[in-house]
Amino acid sequence: MKKVGSLGGQDLREMFNAATSWLEKSSADIDALNVFPVPDGDTGTNMLLTMRSTLEEAYRAPDHSASAVAQAMAKGALMGARGNSGVILAQILRGLAQGLEKKETFTAVDLANALEQSSAMAYKGISTPVEGTMLTVIKDVAAAVKAQVSSDAGDLISVMEAAVKAAGESVARTPQLLQVLREAGVVDAGGQGLYVILDGALRYLRGEMEQMRFRKPQIIVTDMHATKLPQMIAADEVPYGYCTEFLLKGEKLNTDKIRSKLEKKGESLIVVGDDCAVRIHIHTLDPGEVISYATSLGTLHQVSIRNMDEQHQDFLEMQRDRVPAMDTAIVAVASGDGLTDVFTSLGATAIVPGGQTMNPSTKELLQAVESVPSDKVILLPNNKNIVAAANQVQSLTKKTIEVVPTTTIPQGVAAILAFDYEADLPTNVQLMRKAMSAVKSVEICRAVRATKIGGLEIKKKQPIGFLDGELVAAGESCIDVLNQVLAKLDLGKVEVVTIYYGADTKPAEAEEVADSIRERYPQLEIEVVRGGQPHYSYIVSIE
Amino acid sequence: MAVKIVTDSLSDITDDLAQELGITVVPLYVRFGGEVFRDRVEITTEQFYHRLVHGTDFPTTTQPPSGDFLEVYKKLAGETDEILVITVSSKLSGTYESALQARGMMEGKCRIEVIDSQTVAMGLGLIVISTAKVAKGGANLDELADFARQAKERSHAIMSFDTLKYLAKGGRIGKAQALLGAMLSVKPILTVKDGEVVPLTRVRSRAAGIDYLYNFVAGFSNIEELAVEHATTPQEADELVERLGSLFPKERIYRSTVSPVLGTHTGPHVLSVSVLEAPTS
Repeated sequence: MKKVGSLGGQDLREMFNAATSWLEKSSADIDALNVFPVPDGDTGTNMLLTMRSTLEEAYRAPDHSASAVAQAMAKGALMGARGNSGVILAQILRGLAQGLEKKETFTAVDLANALEQSSAMAYKGISTPVEGTMLTVIKDVAAAVKAQVSSDAGDLISVMEAAVKAAGESVARTPQLLQVLREAGVVDAGGQGLYVILDGALRYLRGEMEQMRFRKPQIIVTDMHATKLPQMIAADEVPYGYCTEFLLKGEKLNTDKIRSKLEKKGESLIVVGDDCAVRIHIHTLDPGEVISYATSLGTLHQVSIRNMDEQHQDFLEMQRDRVPAMDTAIVAVASGDGLTDVFTSLGATAIVPGGQTMNPSTKELLQAVESVPSDKVILLPNNKNIVAAANQVQSLTKKTIEVVPTTTIPQGVAAILAFDYEADLPTNVQLMRKAMSAVKSVEICRAVRATKIGGLEIKKKQPIGFLDGELVAAGESCIDVLNQVLAKLDLGKVEVVTIYYGADTKPAEAEEVADSIRERYPQLEIEVVRGGQPHYSYIVSIE
Repeated sequence: MAVKIVTDSLSDITDDLAQELGITVVPLYVRFGGEVFRDRVEITTEQFYHRLVHGTDFPTTTQPPSGDFLEVYKKLAGETDEILVITVSSKLSGTYESALQARGMMEGKCRIEVIDSQTVAMGLGLIVISTAKVAKGGANLDELADFARQAKERSHAIMSFDTLKYLAKGGRIGKAQALLGAMLSVKPILTVKDGEVVPLTRVRSRAAGIDYLYNFVAGFSNIEELAVEHATTPQEADELVERLGSLFPKERIYRSTVSPVLGTHTGPHVLSVSVLEAPTS
């Protein structure tokens, strides 16, 4: 395979040139990922503009040494940095330049050292570093590259391969580290941008310029589902004020001092640079204060003050275009964190808390219907006593409401699973009604009082079992009751049994229940899911 | 001189059929680490899926470079002066671009028309097969290109998946991302719309997935061509063909396999059905 032992300044520049073209191809996709620190949807654009300024300066380098080109790039990045991500990128390039200082050419080992400096620099520029962002990605890249050179120090390609692999994995992990990403079901936009830049650089080294013309960078996806729509995340945020950015030029500037002075003036503060040029980025309610302080230190350049509420509106517009072709929203009633997750992961747009013994009001259902960004809404009441309230909603809203009258959780799950993304509303209602009637629901709870129903003597607190809402069994244990109910069913045509265990049920007991069914009915696929619901120890779906 | 028909290996047209209908298939490439294979030519579907499931390297795929198309064009130009190229959706692969680029490099009087099928697998395959049959009847390039463009509108493909992780890994998931991350084990069903992979629905079991494929076919009243494909489960596909025999003469159902390059993105266990509707009129 092709190997590259060392590179000079020209290659360094061309490598970043390729990386910039690569980034350009996905900058819009990266914009759309942007939810942190504020969902303003400009990360990809900001990183691209920063890279362009970086390159412009790179072509003005006094000679072709790696050191001179890297210095010029760092300067260009600092001068042209835009936004949070751009400034962090500038820091990364500054670290790189420091690491390559006095080098005519650089090797894999030099690159590893330089990336380590990049990582350190990136963290240094930020007053409150947050993990699950570009910072984590550059840190992971630096560590992976270091490990790679300790085993094979001769080849820059294999080092860059290690860097790209680590970046991709690190980006994929960002939702685990940062809650807002997890909720939005996206990876960190800045991290994704950094991954694309490294990937573009690698492709240049591999000599894949031709292929790059026709391809697009990979956007890393997370397999975590969004629990909130971008609109809702945006709505959760507090008022923003002004995104204020400028370049301060002067003499003997002290970045540490400036940072500590500005720290209390706002959020997302970044102060980076050297003693004659410092780039400042801050989200503040009062840009005037920040500006007048900076003016006392030197001259201001490239001043940009943007109203973040406006940026935020633009972001919402952009997200609206991006939501998948799902013009129908689904609102489901469920209680318990597990069941809530089940419904949102299957595409429910909003969940109204409620269920047996806690029926939501028509007003609560109406509020949920009004909150979803769609004019057509399918309601899944998932309880016999909630169907009537759901049926009232239509008379109170201008939106088109269809109630699929599910009376149990298993019916609701079967209905939402049957949703067809390409079908129209009437077809979907038909599909969902058909699916809900094809499932059997078993619910097991403890009797609230002693009673006698349909020939069954029931003691207080005894486990009792319902089949499709009818009380059909009472027994000594939940397993016993479940087995009694299952005995009443023809399981010959059944394929999947799903057991949702309740908030008060131990997972180990649920597994025992599953095992006992597996033993008796080995042909069935049994799945155990934490429902976390109150009231019912078990809800079992048989389909 | 009859028009020559060219497609790419994502059409899943088998060698026998290609030979019978005079179709030239340009392979894409699949790469495991440092090893590169021409799709279906240098790696069989069996070898590929074995390696996909049991190997440690995750494969990547590449479109044919324009040189591959140029070579094919030059060879065919010796036999005809009209070539029709029908490629996989340009939103899923750069193959269409390569085919176009190669056309720009051709000298001489051979006319070449390149069509983006906006679909994949036998969804593409059936368009090509149907067009090749018309070509045998002696239609000229313009007539054939028109025919193929109309056939695009009549071609429908759906695929039942065990998992979407391969699709996500390869970066082709698009809107089907909506089906990722379900808290229950589900089998997603996807289709291709306007050239992109889009979600249709999901079911709980493989059997329900196969039912869905069957019902999809049953929803068409006038079927011209029908194809069934598997990746690693030939028996399931054969059983589906038996069942589909009640809707369409089963000896006319094309059986194929999901090619390695496509399999890189779909993973093992997929089953696919493609329908070419008969033209209305």
